[in-house]
Amino acid sequence: MKKFISVLLSLCFAFSLCGCSNFNMQQSYTKSFIDLFDTACTITAYDTSQEAFNEHFEDVYSVLKSYSNMLDIYNDIYDLNNLKSVNDNGAKEPVKVDDFLLGAIDYGKQAYDFTNGRVNVAMGSVLSIWHDKREEGKELPDMQQLKQMSSYTNIDYVIVDNENQTVSFGAENVSIDFGALAKGYACEKIAQYINDNDIWSNCVINLGGNVKTIGTKNGKNYNIAIENPRGDDYLCTVGVSNGKSVVTSGDYQRYYTVDGVNYCHIINPDTLMPVDYMESVTVICNDSAYADAISTMLFTISVDDGLDFVEKDNSIEAMWVDNSGQITYSTGFEEYIN
Amino acid sequence: MKKLGIKKGDIIILAVVLCIAALSVLCINLFNHTGNVAVVEVNGSVVCELPLDEDCVYDVKINDTVTNTVVVNGGEVEVKNANCPDKICQNHSPINKTGESIICLPNKVIVTIKGDSTEIDGVAQ
Repeated sequence: MKKFISVLLSLCFAFSLCGCSNFNMQQSYTKSFIDLFDTACTITAYDTSQEAFNEHFEDVYSVLKSYSNMLDIYNDIYDLNNLKSVNDNGAKEPVKVDDFLLGAIDYGKQAYDFTNGRVNVAMGSVLSIWHDKREEGKELPDMQQLKQMSSYTNIDYVIVDNENQTVSFGAENVSIDFGALAKGYACEKIAQYINDNDIWSNCVINLGGNVKTIGTKNGKNYNIAIENPRGDDYLCTVGVSNGKSVVTSGDYQRYYTVDGVNYCHIINPDTLMPVDYMESVTVICNDSAYADAISTMLFTISVDDGLDFVEKDNSIEAMWVDNSGQITYSTGFEEYIN
Repeated sequence: MKKLGIKKGDIIILAVVLCIAALSVLCINLFNHTGNVAVVEVNGSVVCELPLDEDCVYDVKINDTVTNTVVVNGGEVEVKNANCPDKICQNHSPINKTGESIICLPNKVIVTIKGDSTEIDGVAQ
């Protein structure tokens, strides 16, 4: 009898040892895709099996695809009122849109206020001129034309009617460009979707370099690297988890060169010209949409002014790299660095 | 020993079972361990996996045209000979940590380093 018990206990112990390495831990699975938001996206999640991950991924991907379609300003999507429909018809009549798009445009109006006008989704008329010239890659836009179109960038021209779920424009030529907020806003919304539907407890959503964390990596922080704008390797890696988001705005992802000078895609709303005094700004905070807006705002103002702003807001930390390569941290940023 | 009623045979059984347990854990870990690989994806499907411990050159072909060349050299991976206009993939510095990737958006090519544990869980850029 005793022999039997000892064998039984040993076996239990032996199996529990095996369990440590196999049964208890979920494995991490990763999938990248490049057909949404005009950028590269990656989702890494802890799940029970490849099949379970694939199933969950399809669900999340289809929601992200609907976000990407709604925020598209270049393509008509069959049977859907997206930002392009709003831009094409908003001056003629109110355009009925989905909850997500209505919320996004409303958030764009809020972003104008909390960034003191540095992030303006109503800059579409000016940004589209820059976009076309960047695609052609030959010359700078005509300043006269930029100035003329800038008279249609008043944020109050964008009218959101929450009751009737419509968006309209108060003048001709107004158009919305959600590029400065799209990835961060979508990142935040998909994280909410994942949480609300209990899809994954631990995952990292990366939409074109806008990173949002959910849960932890086996109880530890995730390692998020921050791209070095000019050199090899990374500037640093930061440890974040449990809803924290890391967002970088840089001059190196989208730019074009005229007469040996690089012109980046972030336009200063005052000068209507690309910003030329910053290489990158990284923001860490809980809300990915807020992080995206603030990193863009900080990119367009001086480091000193930015530092003033960040130190007054306890919810954000930031790191600047100016055009001389000089790195500046807000007070709490370095605590995140590994 | 006698007080507890444990006999020599019990100890032997215990030792043998423990040995088997330890060995099996060792085996599981040994056989599960695969070295890091560079996974090359084109338009969403995996076209090849290149082990990082073997130097090699892999041409990514789309419609019989070489669009990008993936080079594994000394445990690092880089992309050369890209025919895309922006050359962002080609200018990317070599990668060697699990979780890192080089992406060619125009050609829809993604090279990612995969392995047992992830060192980099995301890149903010």
